[in-house]
Amino acid sequence: MTSEDLLFSLSWVQPELLLAGFVLLGTLVGALFGARSTRLLNVVATAALFAAGVMALMHRPEAPQDIFAGAMSIDAFGAFAKAVIAFAAAATLLLGAEHFHRLQDQQFEFPLITVTAVLGMFVMVSANDLIALYVGVELQSLAAYVLAAWRRDDARSSEAGLKYFVLGALSSGLLLFGCSYVYGFSGSVQFDTIAAAAVEPGVGLMFGLVMVLAGLAFKMGAAPFHMWTPDVYEGAPTPVAALFAAAPKVAAVVLMARMLYEPFAGMEHEWRQVIAVLAGASMLVGAFAGLVQTNLKRLMAYSSIANMGFVLMALAAGSPEGAQAALIYIAVYLPATIGVFAVMMALRHQGQAIETIGDLAGIGQRHVGFAALLTILFFSLAGIPPLAGFWGKFEAFRASLGAGLVPLAVVGAIAAVVAAGYYLRVLATVWFSPSAPSDVRPSSGVSAVLAVVGAALCFPLLLVFMAGLEHAADAAVRASF
Amino acid sequence: MLAGMAFYTLAAVAVVAALGVVSSRNPVHSVLFLILTFFTAAGLFVLIGAEFLAMLLVVVYVGAVAVLFLFVVMMLDVDFVELRQGFLNYLPLGALIALVLLGQIGLVASAVLQNQAVQLNPDATAQLAATNAEAVGSVLYTRYVLVFQLSGLVLFVAMIGAIVLTLRSRVGVKKQSVSRQVGRRRQDAVGLKDVRPGQGLG
Amino acid sequence: MMIEAILVLAPLAGAFVAGVFQKVLGDRLAMGITTALVGLSAILSLLVFIDLIWGGGAPRTIELMRFIEIGAFQSSWSVRVDTLSAVMLVVVTSVAFLVHVYSIGYMAEDPHRARFFSYLSFFTFAMLSLVTANDLLQMFFGWEGVGVASYLLIGFWYQKRTANDAAIKAFVTNRVGDFGFALGIMATFHFLGTIQFFPTEAGDVALFSAEVGGRLVDGVLHNLSHMSLMVGQWSIPAAELTAILLFIGAMGKSAQFFLHVWLPDAMEGPTPVSALIHAATMVTAGVVMICRMSELFEMAPNAAAFVTLIGAVTAIFAATVGLAQNDIKRVIAYSTCSQLGYMVFAAGVGAYDAAMFHLFTHAFFKALLFLGAGSVIHGLHHEQDMRYMGGVRRAMQFTWAMMLIGTLALIGAGLPIEGLKIGFAGFYSKDAAIEAAYAAGEGGRAFGMFAFWIGVAAAFLTSFYSWRLMFMTFEGTFRPNPHPSHGHEDVRPGAASDADLGHGADQHGAHGVDHTPSDAGPAGGSGHGRDHRTGGGDGEGRAAPAGTAPAHESPWVMLGPLAVLAVGAVFAGWFFYPYFIGYKADAFWEGAIHRHHADHHFPIWVLWAPVAVTAAGFLLASVFYLLTKGMAERIARAAGPLNAFLAQKWYFDELYDAVFVKGARALGDLFWKGGDQKLIDGLGPNGVAKAARFGGRQLRRAQTGFLYHYSFLMLAAAVLLGAFAIWAGGGLELLGG
Repeated sequence: MTSEDLLFSLSWVQPELLLAGFVLLGTLVGALFGARSTRLLNVVATAALFAAGVMALMHRPEAPQDIFAGAMSIDAFGAFAKAVIAFAAAATLLLGAEHFHRLQDQQFEFPLITVTAVLGMFVMVSANDLIALYVGVELQSLAAYVLAAWRRDDARSSEAGLKYFVLGALSSGLLLFGCSYVYGFSGSVQFDTIAAAAVEPGVGLMFGLVMVLAGLAFKMGAAPFHMWTPDVYEGAPTPVAALFAAAPKVAAVVLMARMLYEPFAGMEHEWRQVIAVLAGASMLVGAFAGLVQTNLKRLMAYSSIANMGFVLMALAAGSPEGAQAALIYIAVYLPATIGVFAVMMALRHQGQAIETIGDLAGIGQRHVGFAALLTILFFSLAGIPPLAGFWGKFEAFRASLGAGLVPLAVVGAIAAVVAAGYYLRVLATVWFSPSAPSDVRPSSGVSAVLAVVGAALCFPLLLVFMAGLEHAADAAVRASF
Repeated sequence: MLAGMAFYTLAAVAVVAALGVVSSRNPVHSVLFLILTFFTAAGLFVLIGAEFLAMLLVVVYVGAVAVLFLFVVMMLDVDFVELRQGFLNYLPLGALIALVLLGQIGLVASAVLQNQAVQLNPDATAQLAATNAEAVGSVLYTRYVLVFQLSGLVLFVAMIGAIVLTLRSRVGVKKQSVSRQVGRRRQDAVGLKDVRPGQGLG
Repeated sequence: MMIEAILVLAPLAGAFVAGVFQKVLGDRLAMGITTALVGLSAILSLLVFIDLIWGGGAPRTIELMRFIEIGAFQSSWSVRVDTLSAVMLVVVTSVAFLVHVYSIGYMAEDPHRARFFSYLSFFTFAMLSLVTANDLLQMFFGWEGVGVASYLLIGFWYQKRTANDAAIKAFVTNRVGDFGFALGIMATFHFLGTIQFFPTEAGDVALFSAEVGGRLVDGVLHNLSHMSLMVGQWSIPAAELTAILLFIGAMGKSAQFFLHVWLPDAMEGPTPVSALIHAATMVTAGVVMICRMSELFEMAPNAAAFVTLIGAVTAIFAATVGLAQNDIKRVIAYSTCSQLGYMVFAAGVGAYDAAMFHLFTHAFFKALLFLGAGSVIHGLHHEQDMRYMGGVRRAMQFTWAMMLIGTLALIGAGLPIEGLKIGFAGFYSKDAAIEAAYAAGEGGRAFGMFAFWIGVAAAFLTSFYSWRLMFMTFEGTFRPNPHPSHGHEDVRPGAASDADLGHGADQHGAHGVDHTPSDAGPAGGSGHGRDHRTGGGDGEGRAAPAGTAPAHESPWVMLGPLAVLAVGAVFAGWFFYPYFIGYKADAFWEGAIHRHHADHHFPIWVLWAPVAVTAAGFLLASVFYLLTKGMAERIARAAGPLNAFLAQKWYFDELYDAVFVKGARALGDLFWKGGDQKLIDGLGPNGVAKAARFGGRQLRRAQTGFLYHYSFLMLAAAVLLGAFAIWAGGGLELLGG
């Protein structure tokens, strides 16, 4: 690899370089100025994330560009995903800044770690060989473990971090185990070479792929590798849970889509069934287990599991439409989820972000605005037309039905109905529960603004935005596969 | 022949040692078994001509990681017996899963025997290089610069994370500040008061 | 063009204005506007009628609006003007106008007059669009429109529970008929591809033939005769099927046997409503429809026989029930039902002209009777039980005279001398119907002779109950009500509780059987001291002379319409006889209905039989109710079960209650409790919810929080997933490959 190659490669990873540069410089600033620099670093980190997202979108290649000797591949699909990740992460970073500011728990490392996690996601999104994939996953995960345990004096937070770490290590082991099989049976870690080998599927490759998928499913939070999700969401600080529910999902979904559609395209017949099983299990677990939850964060965890199930259902189609539907689904899922977390943080109960569904009782009478926001957000999550969530589900169902996965679509429909049950249950508490004498106080900070933005994005903004999104997703998929 | 004998010996020892890691009652023994496993693995590396990696394994894993483990295990009072309480309860199910896994691996192994696995083609650069270390060095900053740098970032995050999660600015701790000590003047430290007899300073 | 449109739309405008702006306009203005607009409509109708009959106007269809065009199916809102609709226009608008005028007086004390007038006008509009329809769909629209208006008006005093019940009963019973009618429309379209009556453009496919632009466009109805519907192995003739289905609609609307139960109860509505809707116009809609589709019924002899049978049974059944009723309005209601039976069997035997003629005259004298009865009720402060009347004649001379004319018209008093036929309106039309039945029977038409004999017998009963009504109401001595709180037509808004306490109208018949002697019998007249009470419980404080009713004559605004109707009741038959069925009939009808042209010479006894039995009925009634006191009660008591049978209307209500109401309830209970709650809810929503929550709890139990559980599950899942993948991907074959 010559220096020209290196320069060429670097020219395509400007967003990543920006983020890495911020992390290093930010550490320096933080080390020098301590907690005083937190505010500055928060602002700069948000700006950097925005800039990275915009850069990724603006500076995307017409055709996929292999860089770093094939370790990464930059394409429109990835650019789109990076933008979504960066914006979602920026939003959650703002939430976190506000949250920790309220708690008088300012640590300048928070923006640094968050940005590092985003950097890891960027690498995941663009990974084009197994090593880059693994390193990206680890970078993202390691940052996430730290974030989960951020409130180190809070036993639940520590427990969440530890659980996430141990299980994450296990899943990384599975991932590596699978990677080693794939390498052994294809002779390369490069996706294109693997693709050539996968034209003639063998049991070794199959087994390796399953282990890789198991590892990735863990990162996505798809059943039956979902066990960590509710515990970690509940234990982690609320803005961190919001981050977990948003950006890493996109990265994991994109990575999985890339794995399936590029190196293992030849084994479509084999992996479609595995993905279908994962999708069905996720949808059912997410839908049914969510029914009995009382904690809002756990509820959102199960919601995310169910939603990942729908994404996987789209991917299981095995067609470009499937990838497109998955991308659209995840893009419309994000605003609603972040919006719900924003509302949870905007409504404060004894100075803390509210956590249980019971805390929402009577919001409909006293804080109509927030109740309306919650209604829009949950309706969108439940997939009630004309909100964006409906179109996401619509696309996912269309993709899977188009591929003839009728039983899976039936399972999906059942899950959608059951899941709608618990979203509506929350809304019933919001609107119809007698107002409990709780001292829930709304705040008009960043979180309220973000809640409004999230709810606004739930309107297919309306159709124009959707059309643009569909077009973008379509173009992204077409350009990449 | 000799290489074959060495391989099987080392492999057998590695497997037995690995079993020892998970089965020994005394945690210190476990760590020692782990070190033995590392050594045999290093031996296997040597057998395939990767002496640089073998040395790295010994230096890093045995010399640093395993010893750190040993310290941790010796300092923490972990009651492994208690941890293994439910072991028997889960044994049947666990054994079943293990059996399935074994079957799968057997399947894969039989695939290998049927030459489905690809003959690995070592990197041309590595072939040219005189030594292992040279081969590694020639690709580390070129071909693998991305993952190398990213690995650096991973370690960086791990470090920062460890600091964030554990470092506490403890209050009430007396610390020596040399510059303050040196820069202290008499006026800062000593004051003269005219005290009347029998009244004190109160 | 304009005239016809205005004619139909004026009442709608009135209804809209009075209904929507009643607060703004106030009652007086609302009444004035609606009455004036209906009056306008009546004048225009007369003009149209005169132009059509004497002015040389041609039958025509004016299309107001295209309504539906779906493929071959099209329907438009039009005004069909031919003799049939013109006759109905005159009947509907003139009676409606008179009833509007009458109601100004009758409803003077009601606080919701504007609403009442709005409903009345709306009814008029709906009825007009029914009779002027040029296709079955518009007819159905009018059909349902009058149904709604009827529902609203029967339940006008919605505080009264009985009124509400009656309104619902009327509506629900009509559902059955309407369902048949709708099926009939569908059948027509299914077989013929059109529901339009007459073509309006050269390209139109219509049921009947008509000239369009100088060229005759043939109707397609005759195609029906060689069509049939195959159900399994049975072949049902299309014409019979369609005709029967349409007739089921007519049975509901025209209160024919089996579906008649709603009509007597409909008397819970204000009396002007009874006169307009439940005597003169709406209930005749079925007859109008049969006449409009007369060609169809001519093609379906079995259906026509069924029509005859039902009509005849209705005539005799209602007449027998009318014998034993005590409520003045119910007597007239059963009389209406009976007369509708005449019309229907006349149509059934093919004498559509006679049916229409009887419809026409009946509208006048039955409206007259109802309005007269209303005047009596009004004069007696809303007492309508005849047992508590008597001797009213002296106080209400004019009303008495009017009622007398109405009665004479109803029973068909007249002299059937060849060449010198003279009599009241009903004489011409009813005898025409009876004679037509005889002729048809002679001609071998099914049930013709049966209808004739039934007609004669019913004429006797008609005479008897009519005179009974007259005598009980107007003659003898006044018999005040011992329970003056009854007040059936209590117009006070708060009267609901009273009405609940008081007997529902249904119970009166039963009472009559048990108590009439003690209440009404002159034998008990002494010693009760009731003569010393002030009458009627009206609080006027005016002591009435013994035996004299404490009544007052109604205002002229009520009596005026009576006078107009009386003119019709006297002369309508005599004047229009030649046009409807006499020597001018062919020119009159101009092919609007099917006519038979056989000239019959009837045996003299056939002509005299109705008159004779009518006279007999008069005599018998005089003996029972006028000359001998208490004889009727003794006979009624002697024939206890029979009397009860009649008074209870052949126990139809009880039967329907037991079979349909209770049956439907039981079925509903079964489906609701067994099917819906246990089966569907149990397995469906509730069961699923239960299962879902159960599943959720199981999943929650799996979520132990223990790390080793999680990790074990992850490993197990990964391994099993691998096994699944290898199995599903045909791993063993892969191995070989």
